[in-house]
Amino acid sequence: MADEEEDIPRPVGANQEDIDLTDETQDFRFLDKLTVNASGAASLPKRGQKDFESHDTKLQSDTLEASRQAMHNVLSWTRVHTEKSRILGMYHPESNMAYVEKVKTKHFENMGKAKGGKEWLLPEEALFLIERGSMDCRWPVNKSNGENEEELTIEDGAPMSLQAAYAAFIGFEGGVGGKLTLEMFTVYSGLKRAGYFVFRAGCWDDDRGTLQPLAHHQDPNKAGGYLSRFFTEIWRRISTHMYPIPKANLQFGPLVKPGLYRSYADVYRLLQIIPTHDRTAPPKFHLESDPNNPFRIHYDVYKSGTGKFRKAHRGPPDFRVAVINARETSLPTADQLNDLLATTPYDPASPQDQMYKKLKHGSRNVILAVVDNGIPSYIRFSDSDFSDIKLYERNGRIPRGKGGGRGRGGGRGRGRGRGR
Amino acid sequence: MGSVTEPFPISRIAGRYLLFDIDVISYARRTHNTCGVLIGTLPNLSQQNVFLGIPLELMPEEARVLIERGHAYIVDDEETHRKGFLQMSREDRLAYLQYMDELGLEASMESKRKLEERAAKALKGKDLSSSLKQKHAGPAPSEATSNGDEESLFDSSEPGVQPKASQSNLIPHFITPATSYPPLSHPPVDRGLPLPEVPRSYPLFRYMHSKGYFSTPGLRFGCHYTIYPGDPLRFHSHFLATGLDWDEEFDLLDVIGGGRLGTGVKKSYLLGGEDPTADAVTEQSDNGASVEVRPVRTFSIEWAGM
Repeated sequence: MADEEEDIPRPVGANQEDIDLTDETQDFRFLDKLTVNASGAASLPKRGQKDFESHDTKLQSDTLEASRQAMHNVLSWTRVHTEKSRILGMYHPESNMAYVEKVKTKHFENMGKAKGGKEWLLPEEALFLIERGSMDCRWPVNKSNGENEEELTIEDGAPMSLQAAYAAFIGFEGGVGGKLTLEMFTVYSGLKRAGYFVFRAGCWDDDRGTLQPLAHHQDPNKAGGYLSRFFTEIWRRISTHMYPIPKANLQFGPLVKPGLYRSYADVYRLLQIIPTHDRTAPPKFHLESDPNNPFRIHYDVYKSGTGKFRKAHRGPPDFRVAVINARETSLPTADQLNDLLATTPYDPASPQDQMYKKLKHGSRNVILAVVDNGIPSYIRFSDSDFSDIKLYERNGRIPRGKGGGRGRGGGRGRGRGRGR
Repeated sequence: MGSVTEPFPISRIAGRYLLFDIDVISYARRTHNTCGVLIGTLPNLSQQNVFLGIPLELMPEEARVLIERGHAYIVDDEETHRKGFLQMSREDRLAYLQYMDELGLEASMESKRKLEERAAKALKGKDLSSSLKQKHAGPAPSEATSNGDEESLFDSSEPGVQPKASQSNLIPHFITPATSYPPLSHPPVDRGLPLPEVPRSYPLFRYMHSKGYFSTPGLRFGCHYTIYPGDPLRFHSHFLATGLDWDEEFDLLDVIGGGRLGTGVKKSYLLGGEDPTADAVTEQSDNGASVEVRPVRTFSIEWAGM
């Protein structure tokens, strides 16, 4: 019989912390009440209760009208640049990028690339700056009109509207061999709005990413002096039966021969005869290189607020994100997932972590940003090492988790005749 | 709110369907129960994901319904912009720049007026306006200085000295408009462009749309559409909908999963599909556009929890 508790649907929104405000269409009338706390999570003080269905009252239609009007007003805001705060950019059609000559804001601490005395912005960076109302981008002047090029400044170019910016930076991308799609931009701007620093991962122009080899970690067993290591080794040889069992013997058994066993772990170890995927072997691609493979890492994402950030020396990213279009792509096959994970670095959990956390963290991991028509959803895939993290080797106390349920009877374990 | 004439243009950029005009966005929402998804960043509110702005991304299904019924038409925005801006004539460019300057000057005056208004309000709130006005006759307003409120000090003294800010010394602001019209003129209706490609769940979408329901993408609940009985601004959604083919076999576990999830979030799971064997009926819109549809059957699934 299933747990009774599970059968009762939990009341929606019982736990305030579980509410993700971006999950629902929010009432624009409450926009001025929006607060963003220190951790970056947005919250609305008290949300206007929505209705279940229409009941044809004037109150309801008036409230709806007010919300729609508020929405209309907010969406009508124009992007205005004052002389002081504006970033003046110029669109460069040959590369589908934009450049800025005078850099004066903090945005360029985490975007853009200096080249030839100008700061060059990738399509998504330029589009994001235009969209958030920071950059005044201009179209290049049509040179076939016979104008004197030398006299023209950036300001002589026609201002680029938001619509034009989308048409150019997203629409013209294919024309220059670029790969930015609207889905990738949706993810980029969503992460930027959430305060992350986002950069293109290194392999945009290649057919696929590069294999990330295993990092050489020091074996914790090797610590200590020669002498103690020697005795440890002797004791290990005496106490464990690590020798492989010949295949022929398996037919007749027994797997566990009569003998001296000092712990159950030794017995379990002998029972392990099914081969598993070896995560210590160097990773390999399973599929042929294919430029159309949708599963590739697009963005390196860094948490902000961790000290001074330098875009030129930014170190390994906190997250790696692959953008997937939910309408065109299905779940990755095992081979596709293997190839994607092989391009992420070997990143095991800390040995001090609890087992569940270790398994969840996996040895390699990647975040899939699945976009369904403008709505992104982030899913983390990790390679869980069930073969390396063994239940029977779990040492010490039972962790006292919240969901422990039956495990809470900690007193029972203590009474097991250690004779303290 | 500006008026919208039908059919209105839908921008197609890189195979996606977008709306940039706020009047069109409001109009489609009010008149054609089409809400789409706002994907843009709001200027000045660019550090949050709760409220988003223009552009509005339409599902291909939404774009297709609007086009089939003759309410909208597709514009190839890449081509329009390539022609319109990269090959813009000198006269057009200068006229556009001058037009933007005028808008910028207006914006500049508007922001100045707002600043003054705010200052006056702040002073009123502090009950300082009267005392400050008296001080103006005398030398320096020392009382306000000691308050340390720089903004109110600055703004209150200026309008006092120059009653009306002269337009000539205002620097026009620079404006990034939301749409490219003007300077471009609306392109003519081009019926040659193909209809948006839609998934096979489209018949269910069209059916629910024709009944006045609002739909948003269903990714958050693992279905095709989240369906609302009215504007999602005001109403909770009722259905998590999945559109299937008439004879399609599917996993029974999907029904269990959908039913439990839906019930858990106070919605019900909806399955539906079009009957290909039934006779097609021609539906006529008010504006003369006609479309052939086949009947759709829907089933609502709920976790009974007995």
